[in-house]
Amino acid sequence: MEVRPILSTLFRNKTAPLLIAAQVALTLAIVANSLYIIRERLASAARPTGLDEPNIGWINLSPVGEVADPKTMQEVDLNTLRAIPGVRSATWANMIPLSQSGWNSGGMSLKEGDNDSGINSAHYFSPGSLVDTFGLNLIAGRDFTADDVFDHDPEQGSALPKTVIISKALAEALLPNEADLGQLVGQQLFNATEAPVTIIGIVDRLQTPWSNEGADGEQSYILPIRYLVGSFQYAIRTEPGQLDRVMKEAADQLSTLRSDRVLNSQRTFAEIRASRYANETLMAGLLIAVTLFLLLITASGIVGLSSLWVNQRRKQIGVRRALGARRIDVIRYFLVENMLITSGGVLLGLLLTLALNQVLVRQMEVPRLPAEYVGFGMVIMWLLGVASVLGPALRAARVPPAVATRTV
Amino acid sequence: MFFYYLKLGAVNLKRNPIITALMVITLAVGVAAAMTTLTILRGMSGDPIPHKSDRLFYVQIDTGPVGRENPNGEPDAQMSYTDTMNLWRAAKAPRQTPLMGTSDTVSPERKDLQPFITTGLAVGADFFSMFDVPLLEGRFWSAEQDKAGSDVVVITRQMRDRLFGEGQSAVGKRLMLSQRELTIIGVLDTWSPLPKFYRLVGSNRYGSHEDYFLPIEYAVRVESGIEGQVSCTSRPDPGFQGFLQSDCTWLQYWVELAEAGDRQGFADYLVAYVNEQKKLDRLPRTVNNRLRDVNEWMVQQGVVDNDTVVATWLAFAFLAVCLVNTVGLLLAKFSARPGEIGVRRALGASRAEIFSQFLTEAGVVGLVGAALGILLTLAALAYVRQYARDIALLTEMDWLMLLTTVLISLVAALGAGLLPTWRACQVLPAAQLKSQ
Repeated sequence: MEVRPILSTLFRNKTAPLLIAAQVALTLAIVANSLYIIRERLASAARPTGLDEPNIGWINLSPVGEVADPKTMQEVDLNTLRAIPGVRSATWANMIPLSQSGWNSGGMSLKEGDNDSGINSAHYFSPGSLVDTFGLNLIAGRDFTADDVFDHDPEQGSALPKTVIISKALAEALLPNEADLGQLVGQQLFNATEAPVTIIGIVDRLQTPWSNEGADGEQSYILPIRYLVGSFQYAIRTEPGQLDRVMKEAADQLSTLRSDRVLNSQRTFAEIRASRYANETLMAGLLIAVTLFLLLITASGIVGLSSLWVNQRRKQIGVRRALGARRIDVIRYFLVENMLITSGGVLLGLLLTLALNQVLVRQMEVPRLPAEYVGFGMVIMWLLGVASVLGPALRAARVPPAVATRTV
Repeated sequence: MFFYYLKLGAVNLKRNPIITALMVITLAVGVAAAMTTLTILRGMSGDPIPHKSDRLFYVQIDTGPVGRENPNGEPDAQMSYTDTMNLWRAAKAPRQTPLMGTSDTVSPERKDLQPFITTGLAVGADFFSMFDVPLLEGRFWSAEQDKAGSDVVVITRQMRDRLFGEGQSAVGKRLMLSQRELTIIGVLDTWSPLPKFYRLVGSNRYGSHEDYFLPIEYAVRVESGIEGQVSCTSRPDPGFQGFLQSDCTWLQYWVELAEAGDRQGFADYLVAYVNEQKKLDRLPRTVNNRLRDVNEWMVQQGVVDNDTVVATWLAFAFLAVCLVNTVGLLLAKFSARPGEIGVRRALGASRAEIFSQFLTEAGVVGLVGAALGILLTLAALAYVRQYARDIALLTEMDWLMLLTTVLISLVAALGAGLLPTWRACQVLPAAQLKSQ
């Protein structure tokens, strides 16, 4: 192999190869770290809520003044909503996943008097069936019936429900390292309300309004409570493909029902999700743009400098060709030269990648970069180097041997 | 000579058009990435009220029960009604104000306007002077109205324009908030600090500002709806009175001291207050107060999010790659012209002359790159504005940032030009002339 002469040429003329190597190193450091951050963000934004998302909408009205009889108003609203063609289920709910604000309780426990278990949970409640309306997957026990529902008027004190449905993540937090979560059904849960409530069902997944990373973001429970205040917020689940039309009709009909309320918001679940993860999407988008530009720029730099070398070496190439080197030998020369430079850059880049990651880990709580991303980045850089040098190398191969005889 | 070199540089842009275009684009993209992230970072982390940020303090008093402390030892971000009002009524600082987010439906008198929902802030009278809120017309409410909880309200300019028409006076008119009648006594001039440092908890930090301001005693008296974060460690007694007496935290509290040095004195007063309250069987935890100035409070609340910092780091690393690339391309461009250098040197030009000629040429590339970079930055900021509504208002580029962009591009191009220029100066005239 002709590595020795290539190396000696490189050492004779160090500046340009060093520049390319430095560029490759910096690019690798940035690309590997950004790829990882992009993937993290997109994976975080793609986590499922447990809901039948494509068919769910959320509509919200506020009263202009005091509300005399919220119970009847809620019932009239729900009957109106359920009468709209295409509505599969509708119910009042105190909050919806990913909305970023809502109710939360701490100290969930299976033992009485245990107030500092450290287990937090989102506190959902509804007079109807969130299992139906959210489209949750009940994996154990049963759903609420009308008999489970209690009216609660915050002005009058508490009427306390006796039953609760919990999410699988909460079940796992309550019973760590236990395969059979079904045994929780029938047990008492403490601190969800002042009095213990009996667990009657477990749903597979129900994300919290905050959807934090990890199990914390899926620890939820649902209580069967009819909340007698003048807030009118309804979750609607439609037959597939009907959501947009139903949301429009729902807004129209609820608005015309009474004049003493204002339509606050009407959002499909897709919109709620987009707004929850707007920053993640933006960050990923910017990083993808930066990564692509970076690869493009590095490639253009390699093409530029390789072309320059080819031009500078036309005579030497001609001499080599005249002395019997085949075209493939010329191409191989440039490819090997490029591989050597890129490899130098990649090795330097490995250190830079780890250093940059170290900075990010220490200062920004970014998780440590897994090795496969470094490997993937290295492969990308090698491929990029070869692809960039191929054009100039082919041009070099076309230099005719006769060049050797022309200029002095 | 400088202007001649400048002209030469401009003319030479046309030489090797592909390499030149690559250089300009590289430089512009790198500068745009760096400037976009820097603009956002600056918008997030800038001191919102520089002349008094070290005299405005955010107060926290720990109301929680023993045994369920935060792992990091922090008290809750907000305070209970009891503590807030005790401190406010004692008025031990030159100025102080509680903050309570409210939400109401506005019923306009004009028949062509539908009722709408909007958010407001219930505060003390000191709020306006503490945060330098500008007044367009009318006045703020007095200390007596503050104590009495009078039914007066100060609205923003936008709200006035919406309700009464642009430029129309609103002072003295009625405002129906959730079917309660208030008298408008003042209209604010445009006031929109970002982030909303005065209300970092329970509100969108980069979102829209409150539309109306009313005395907190009034809001409490009429049991106005609370907009914001409420946390309770135990269930309060029923009704609004039960809620007020509970240790639920839902109010924010600011004080302004005469000078930064009074901080310790006020902290001591807070400790004394907590010890007083302990005698009444309140505040069971060991004294755990916080007194933070504006900037400390912004850091504690994580106003600059990690994503932005990471993005800025990456953008500057990106700029570094672009610079290295520009160095390589300039090297290629300059080294294609040894003949020209040889002739100039042979005709008597000194190395210094060659140096300034080629550095000027690099500078011209930098200027063109800066112009393109500014356009790209504006485009990128427009993209960010469209995508992330909550940081939209931060993405205004001001003159300072514009100047910085030009400066960075120029310094970048000149820096990148140094090595290639130095190499160009090394050309030996004799060798070049011989080989021609």
